[in-house]
Amino acid sequence: MNEQELIQRLRNRDEAAFRYLVETYQDRVYNTALGIVQNAEDAEDVSQEVFIQAYRSIGHFKGEAKISTWLYRIATTRSLDLLRSRKSKKRFGFIQRLFGEGNEPVFELPDFNHPGVALERKENAAKLFRAISRLPENQKIAFTLYKLEDLSYQEISEVMKTSLPAVESLMHRAKQNLKKMLEKNTT
Amino acid sequence: MQAGKSNKIEEILNSLDGLQKATAPGFFYPRLKARLEKEILPAATKPAGILRPAYALAALAVVLLINATVILTRNNSGEIVSSSETETLQSIAADYDLNDVSSIYDLNEDR
Repeated sequence: MNEQELIQRLRNRDEAAFRYLVETYQDRVYNTALGIVQNAEDAEDVSQEVFIQAYRSIGHFKGEAKISTWLYRIATTRSLDLLRSRKSKKRFGFIQRLFGEGNEPVFELPDFNHPGVALERKENAAKLFRAISRLPENQKIAFTLYKLEDLSYQEISEVMKTSLPAVESLMHRAKQNLKKMLEKNTT
Repeated sequence: MQAGKSNKIEEILNSLDGLQKATAPGFFYPRLKARLEKEILPAATKPAGILRPAYALAALAVVLLINATVILTRNNSGEIVSSSETETLQSIAADYDLNDVSSIYDLNEDR
Protein backbone atom coordinates (compact mmCIF):
# COMPACT_ATOMS: atom_id res chain seq x y z
CA MET A 1 0.00 0.00 0.00
CA ASN A 2 1.53 3.33 -0.98
CA GLU A 3 1.30 6.38 1.27
CA GLN A 4 -1.47 8.16 -0.64
CA GLU A 5 -3.63 5.06 -0.57
CA LEU A 6 -2.92 4.59 3.15
CA ILE A 7 -3.84 8.20 3.92
CA GLN A 8 -7.12 7.88 1.98
CA ARG A 9 -8.04 4.67 3.76
CA LEU A 10 -7.19 6.20 7.13
CA ARG A 11 -9.50 9.12 6.34
CA ASN A 12 -12.23 6.58 5.61
CA ARG A 13 -11.63 5.13 9.09
CA ASP A 14 -10.49 1.82 7.64
CA GLU A 15 -9.38 -0.23 10.65
CA ALA A 16 -7.05 -2.45 8.67
CA ALA A 17 -5.28 0.67 7.39
CA PHE A 18 -4.95 2.06 10.93
CA ARG A 19 -3.57 -1.21 12.17
CA TYR A 20 -1.06 -1.21 9.29
CA LEU A 21 -0.02 2.35 10.23
CA VAL A 22 0.51 1.40 13.87
CA GLU A 23 2.39 -1.79 13.17
CA THR A 24 4.62 -0.10 10.59
CA TYR A 25 5.60 2.88 12.71
CA GLN A 26 5.11 1.84 16.35
CA ASP A 27 8.79 0.98 16.93
CA ARG A 28 10.04 4.25 15.50
CA VAL A 29 7.56 6.23 17.56
CA TYR A 30 8.30 4.28 20.72
CA ASN A 31 12.08 4.46 20.37
CA THR A 32 11.89 8.23 19.79
CA ALA A 33 9.60 8.77 22.78
CA LEU A 34 11.77 6.54 24.95
CA GLY A 35 14.91 8.48 24.11
CA ILE A 36 13.27 11.76 25.11
CA VAL A 37 11.16 10.84 28.13
CA GLN A 38 13.63 8.18 29.34
CA ASN A 39 11.00 5.99 30.98
CA ALA A 40 9.40 2.89 29.41
CA GLU A 41 5.89 3.38 30.82
CA ASP A 42 5.76 7.04 29.87
CA ALA A 43 7.12 6.21 26.42
CA GLU A 44 4.32 3.71 25.85
CA ASP A 45 1.77 6.26 26.99
CA VAL A 46 3.20 8.89 24.67
CA SER A 47 3.31 6.43 21.79
CA GLN A 48 -0.38 5.64 22.22
CA GLU A 49 -1.17 9.35 22.29
CA VAL A 50 0.76 9.82 19.06
CA PHE A 51 -1.39 7.32 17.20
CA ILE A 52 -4.58 8.63 18.78
CA GLN A 53 -3.66 12.10 17.61
CA ALA A 54 -2.84 10.72 14.16
CA TYR A 55 -6.25 9.04 14.07
CA ARG A 56 -8.01 12.27 15.03
CA SER A 57 -6.09 14.59 12.76
CA ILE A 58 -5.59 12.53 9.60
CA GLY A 59 -8.22 14.71 7.95
CA HIS A 60 -5.89 17.72 8.34
CA PHE A 61 -2.79 15.92 7.11
CA LYS A 62 -2.22 17.17 3.60
CA GLY A 63 0.43 14.62 2.73
CA GLU A 64 3.03 17.27 1.97
CA ALA A 65 5.47 15.38 4.22
CA LYS A 66 6.07 11.66 4.57
CA ILE A 67 3.91 9.84 7.13
CA SER A 68 7.04 9.00 9.11
CA THR A 69 8.02 12.69 9.27
CA TRP A 70 4.54 13.57 10.48
CA LEU A 71 4.59 10.87 13.15
CA TYR A 72 8.09 11.83 14.35
CA ARG A 73 6.84 15.39 14.67
CA ILE A 74 3.86 14.35 16.80
CA ALA A 75 6.07 12.02 18.87
CA THR A 76 8.64 14.71 19.67
CA THR A 77 5.92 17.25 20.51
CA ARG A 78 4.06 14.86 22.79
CA SER A 79 7.29 13.79 24.47
CA LEU A 80 8.21 17.39 25.21
CA ASP A 81 4.69 18.00 26.56
CA LEU A 82 5.21 15.16 29.00
CA LEU A 83 8.58 16.52 30.12
CA ARG A 84 7.04 19.97 30.69
CA SER A 85 4.22 18.49 32.71
CA ARG A 86 6.72 16.52 34.83
CA LYS A 87 8.67 19.71 35.44
CA SER A 88 5.60 21.67 36.52
CA LYS A 89 4.47 18.85 38.85
CA LYS A 90 7.92 18.90 40.40
CA ARG A 91 7.74 22.67 40.87
CA PHE A 92 4.24 22.48 42.34
CA GLY A 93 5.31 19.71 44.70
CA PHE A 94 8.19 21.86 45.92
CA ILE A 95 5.87 24.80 46.59
CA GLN A 96 3.41 22.52 48.40
CA ARG A 97 6.21 21.28 50.61
CA LEU A 98 7.22 24.87 51.39
CA PHE A 99 3.73 25.49 52.74
CA GLY A 100 3.64 22.28 54.69
CA GLU A 101 1.32 20.47 52.30
CA GLY A 102 2.06 17.60 49.93
CA ASN A 103 3.85 14.87 51.77
CA GLU A 104 4.48 12.84 48.66
CA PRO A 105 8.14 12.67 47.82
CA VAL A 106 9.06 14.00 44.40
CA PHE A 107 11.06 11.31 42.79
CA GLU A 108 14.10 12.06 40.75
CA LEU A 109 14.04 9.59 37.87
CA PRO A 110 16.73 6.96 38.27
CA ASP A 111 19.46 6.64 35.65
CA PHE A 112 17.92 5.59 32.38
CA ASN A 113 19.13 2.39 30.76
CA HIS A 114 18.11 2.10 27.14
CA PRO A 115 17.35 -1.57 26.38
CA GLY A 116 19.27 -1.46 23.12
CA VAL A 117 22.65 -0.43 24.58
CA ALA A 118 25.38 -3.07 24.74
CA LEU A 119 26.23 -4.21 28.26
CA GLU A 120 29.78 -2.88 28.25
CA ARG A 121 28.49 0.59 27.30
CA LYS A 122 25.55 0.81 29.72
CA GLU A 123 27.29 2.94 32.32
CA ASN A 124 28.54 5.47 29.78
CA ALA A 125 25.18 5.50 27.99
CA ALA A 126 23.39 6.24 31.28
CA LYS A 127 25.70 9.25 31.82
CA LEU A 128 25.03 10.45 28.31
CA PHE A 129 21.26 10.12 28.68
CA ARG A 130 21.40 12.09 31.89
CA ALA A 131 23.27 14.86 30.09
CA ILE A 132 20.81 14.72 27.14
CA SER A 133 17.92 15.23 29.57
CA ARG A 134 19.47 18.58 30.51
CA LEU A 135 19.80 19.90 26.98
CA PRO A 136 17.48 22.66 25.71
CA GLU A 137 14.45 21.21 23.95
CA ASN A 138 15.44 21.73 20.33
CA GLN A 139 18.96 20.41 20.88
CA LYS A 140 17.48 17.42 22.72
CA ILE A 141 15.14 16.62 19.81
CA ALA A 142 17.80 16.97 17.15
CA PHE A 143 20.37 14.91 19.06
CA THR A 144 17.88 12.17 19.95
CA LEU A 145 16.57 11.83 16.40
CA TYR A 146 20.15 11.70 15.12
CA LYS A 147 21.60 9.27 17.63
CA LEU A 148 18.63 7.01 18.36
CA GLU A 149 16.75 7.02 15.08
CA ASP A 150 19.69 7.53 12.71
CA LEU A 151 17.88 10.31 10.92
CA SER A 152 19.96 12.48 8.60
CA TYR A 153 20.20 16.20 9.23
CA GLN A 154 17.90 16.72 6.23
CA GLU A 155 15.27 14.40 7.70
CA ILE A 156 15.61 16.09 11.09
CA SER A 157 15.07 19.49 9.47
CA GLU A 158 11.83 18.18 7.93
CA VAL A 159 10.60 16.84 11.27
CA MET A 160 11.48 20.05 13.10
CA LYS A 161 10.27 22.23 10.22
CA THR A 162 13.50 24.13 10.17
CA SER A 163 16.42 24.61 7.81
CA LEU A 164 19.38 22.28 7.35
CA PRO A 165 21.89 24.91 8.62
CA ALA A 166 19.70 25.34 11.70
CA VAL A 167 19.91 21.62 12.43
CA GLU A 168 23.67 21.64 11.91
CA SER A 169 23.89 24.49 14.40
CA LEU A 170 21.65 22.66 16.90
CA MET A 171 23.78 19.53 16.67
CA HIS A 172 27.00 21.49 17.12
CA ARG A 173 25.65 23.28 20.19
CA ALA A 174 24.19 20.05 21.59
CA LYS A 175 27.59 18.33 21.39
CA GLN A 176 29.31 21.36 22.97
CA ASN A 177 26.81 21.41 25.83
CA LEU A 178 27.05 17.67 26.37
CA LYS A 179 30.85 17.88 26.53
CA LYS A 180 30.65 20.65 29.13
CA MET A 181 28.20 18.68 31.28
CA LEU A 182 30.20 15.48 31.00
CA GLU A 183 33.44 17.30 31.85
CA LYS A 184 31.91 18.57 35.06
CA ASN A 185 30.80 15.11 36.08
CA THR A 186 33.85 13.18 34.93
CA THR A 187 36.92 12.83 37.14
CA MET B 1 45.58 13.54 32.17
CA GLN B 2 43.65 16.02 30.03
CA ALA B 3 43.91 13.71 27.00
CA GLY B 4 42.61 10.87 29.16
CA LYS B 5 39.63 12.88 30.28
CA SER B 6 38.96 14.00 26.74
CA ASN B 7 39.06 10.40 25.53
CA LYS B 8 36.68 9.39 28.31
CA ILE B 9 34.21 12.08 27.26
CA GLU B 10 34.44 11.02 23.62
CA GLU B 11 33.80 7.45 24.74
CA ILE B 12 30.65 8.58 26.55
CA LEU B 13 29.47 10.62 23.58
CA ASN B 14 29.87 7.57 21.34
CA SER B 15 28.25 5.12 23.75
CA LEU B 16 25.02 5.11 21.72
CA ASP B 17 26.76 4.13 18.48
CA GLY B 18 25.46 0.81 17.21
CA LEU B 19 22.50 1.03 19.57
CA GLN B 20 19.72 -1.44 18.88
CA LYS B 21 16.49 0.47 18.59
CA ALA B 22 13.87 -0.26 21.22
CA THR B 23 10.70 -1.97 20.07
CA ALA B 24 7.20 -1.14 21.23
CA PRO B 25 5.93 -3.31 24.08
CA GLY B 26 3.92 -6.43 23.36
CA PHE B 27 0.19 -6.07 22.62
CA PHE B 28 0.72 -2.43 21.74
CA TYR B 29 -2.01 -2.38 19.11
CA PRO B 30 -4.74 -4.10 21.18
CA ARG B 31 -4.03 -1.73 24.10
CA LEU B 32 -4.06 1.26 21.78
CA LYS B 33 -7.31 0.12 20.20
CA ALA B 34 -8.95 -0.26 23.61
CA ARG B 35 -7.84 3.23 24.61
CA LEU B 36 -8.97 4.69 21.31
CA GLU B 37 -12.42 3.14 21.68
CA LYS B 38 -12.67 4.51 25.20
CA GLU B 39 -11.69 8.02 24.11
CA ILE B 40 -13.49 8.19 20.76
CA LEU B 41 -16.64 6.19 21.53
CA PRO B 42 -18.17 8.61 24.05
CA ALA B 43 -18.29 11.15 21.21
CA ALA B 44 -20.69 8.84 19.37
CA THR B 45 -23.17 9.05 22.26
CA LYS B 46 -23.40 12.81 22.17
CA PRO B 47 -26.87 14.27 21.50
CA ALA B 48 -28.12 14.30 17.93
CA GLY B 49 -27.19 17.34 15.85
CA ILE B 50 -30.44 19.18 16.48
CA LEU B 51 -29.86 19.10 20.25
CA ARG B 52 -26.39 20.53 20.09
CA PRO B 53 -25.81 23.67 22.17
CA ALA B 54 -25.11 25.72 19.03
CA TYR B 55 -28.58 25.00 17.68
CA ALA B 56 -30.20 25.65 21.06
CA LEU B 57 -28.52 29.05 21.28
CA ALA B 58 -29.57 29.87 17.74
CA ALA B 59 -33.20 29.00 18.57
CA LEU B 60 -33.05 31.15 21.71
CA ALA B 61 -31.68 34.05 19.68
CA VAL B 62 -34.58 33.72 17.22
CA VAL B 63 -37.15 33.75 20.06
CA LEU B 64 -35.55 36.82 21.60
CA LEU B 65 -35.52 38.54 18.22
CA ILE B 66 -39.23 37.86 17.72
CA ASN B 67 -39.99 39.18 21.23
CA ALA B 68 -37.92 42.29 20.59
CA THR B 69 -39.73 42.88 17.31
CA VAL B 70 -43.12 42.59 18.99
CA ILE B 71 -42.11 44.93 21.81
CA LEU B 72 -40.71 47.52 19.44
CA THR B 73 -43.81 47.34 17.21
CA ARG B 74 -46.07 47.80 20.24
CA ASN B 75 -44.06 50.82 21.45
CA ASN B 76 -44.24 52.47 18.03
CA SER B 77 -48.03 52.19 17.75
CA GLY B 78 -48.49 53.37 21.42
CA GLU B 79 -51.58 51.29 22.13
CA ILE B 80 -52.31 47.77 23.00
CA VAL B 81 -55.74 47.68 21.48
CA SER B 82 -56.72 49.06 18.03
CA SER B 83 -59.03 52.11 17.76
CA SER B 84 -61.98 50.15 16.32
CA GLU B 85 -61.81 47.72 19.24
CA THR B 86 -61.74 50.70 21.63
CA GLU B 87 -65.00 52.05 20.15
CA THR B 88 -66.65 48.66 20.56
CA LEU B 89 -65.56 48.44 24.19
CA GLN B 90 -66.79 51.97 24.90
CA SER B 91 -70.24 51.30 23.43
CA ILE B 92 -70.61 48.16 25.55
CA ALA B 93 -69.58 50.14 28.62
CA ALA B 94 -72.19 52.78 27.75
CA ASP B 95 -74.92 50.16 27.42
CA TYR B 96 -74.24 48.99 30.94
CA ASP B 97 -73.67 52.45 32.30
CA LEU B 98 -70.09 51.61 33.25
CA ASN B 99 -68.46 54.80 32.01
CA ASP B 100 -68.92 56.70 35.24
CA VAL B 101 -66.57 54.79 37.49
CA SER B 102 -67.00 57.06 40.51
CA SER B 103 -70.66 56.02 41.02
CA ILE B 104 -69.71 52.41 41.59
CA TYR B 105 -67.59 53.17 44.61
CA ASP B 106 -69.55 56.08 46.16
CA LEU B 107 -71.63 54.27 48.72
CA ASN B 108 -73.27 57.46 50.03
CA GLU B 109 -74.83 58.57 46.76
CA ASP B 110 -78.59 58.26 46.52
CA ARG B 111 -79.63 56.40 43.43
